[in-house]
Amino acid sequence: MSEWDFSFLLRRYHVILDGLYGTLALAAVTLAVSLLLGIIAGMGRTSRSATLRAAATCYVEFFRNIPALVQVFWFFYVFPILTGIQENPFISAATALSFYSGAFFAEIYRSGIQSIERSQWDAGKALGFGYFRTMRYVVLPPAIKRMIPALTNQSIEVVKLTTVASTIAYHELLYQGQLLSQTEFRPLESYTVVAAILIGILVLLSYGSTRLERRLARSE
Amino acid sequence: MNYEWDFLVVFRHFDFLLQGAVGTLKLAGMSMTIALPLGLMLAIVRILRVPVLSLLSVIYIDLFRASASLILIFWFFFAFPILIHVDFGPFTAASLALGLQAAAYLAEVYRSGILSIGRGQWDAARALGMGYLLAMRYVILPQAIRRVVPVIFTRLVDLLKTTSLAAAISYDELVHHAQRLSSDTFRPIETFTVVALMFFVTIFTCSQLTRRLERHLARSD
Repeated sequence: MSEWDFSFLLRRYHVILDGLYGTLALAAVTLAVSLLLGIIAGMGRTSRSATLRAAATCYVEFFRNIPALVQVFWFFYVFPILTGIQENPFISAATALSFYSGAFFAEIYRSGIQSIERSQWDAGKALGFGYFRTMRYVVLPPAIKRMIPALTNQSIEVVKLTTVASTIAYHELLYQGQLLSQTEFRPLESYTVVAAILIGILVLLSYGSTRLERRLARSE
Repeated sequence: MNYEWDFLVVFRHFDFLLQGAVGTLKLAGMSMTIALPLGLMLAIVRILRVPVLSLLSVIYIDLFRASASLILIFWFFFAFPILIHVDFGPFTAASLALGLQAAAYLAEVYRSGILSIGRGQWDAARALGMGYLLAMRYVILPQAIRRVVPVIFTRLVDLLKTTSLAAAISYDELVHHAQRLSSDTFRPIETFTVVALMFFVTIFTCSQLTRRLERHLARSD
């Protein structure tokens, strides 16, 4: 009969804190890079040039149809050979997860940009704006407002995805949980704590995003 | 870069990868068997507004949707057996984790389908003398499920992609077999390239079929 016993956490809370830091660092870098990749690929998908459209479509279809775990392993093994630098779990995981999430962000941008009426583009042209300035000042501001719910949802997915990096021994929450469970012989408590912390982060994030959406809806 | 690619080694052991693929499909099948009916039950209970049960259903759905699949897999493999004093293997743990989570996602899909059916249909069913459950079974659900079939398929394709995470608890599926093969042959890049392509072909084909089904249903509506 096992009794719940969380007392070891008082001694070893820094293990969890390290993991929390690892998760947040990986999530932040992945989010920044994948939002950027997504906007580039999203612009490619809506471009007038057939070559750019094809290239962006290939990127999106390829990366979102392969499991994130397979991409993480692939980058983990390919990096040292391509660059000659030693395997680095953080860089491998951030690269793989950014490419993977970037493909999902691209589709969000695409549908957002396509939801803006053609007349807005004509208005931009009438003001003497080129493609990029029309995009930047006329099309993107209202488009991004419409995309906010989808963007925040996908960002939450990114935070969940960071757990995959534990498989290449990157020190995030789940990996630190494994470490605790093995050194303290307390799998039940270790995994429950890790699960609870991540759920806590995600609940906070989704609460924040609902408030943001409501504020934006009011200002519409 | 002077890396010499050698795919031949991988293809010589291709049957080993195929065995892994069978494991992937088994896990996906088992998880779907859990998720499809359970999701529907959760959705109906949530909509029915039964005092305690509906609240439990909402908590279940939110909890599983807010969890990372990989953590669930670890939890069901290492923690859950201690809690219930039953030992089980990676297949059971992974099917439970993925099936129970997919049920939460599917519940929201079913619910949106049921809520999209107009009041008029309920009134029509009542005019025929049907009670709540009969109306749900014969009038509402057939229309609701038809509307959300493409979304259900999208979720199931996602589930197929997620099964790869079971490799982390050494369940014999495609990615785990790839890990073993690459450590036997010292050819991780080639192995994972082949595995990535196997996943891509399967999942891309499924997504395209789903898209065609969606267009077909939209036209016949």
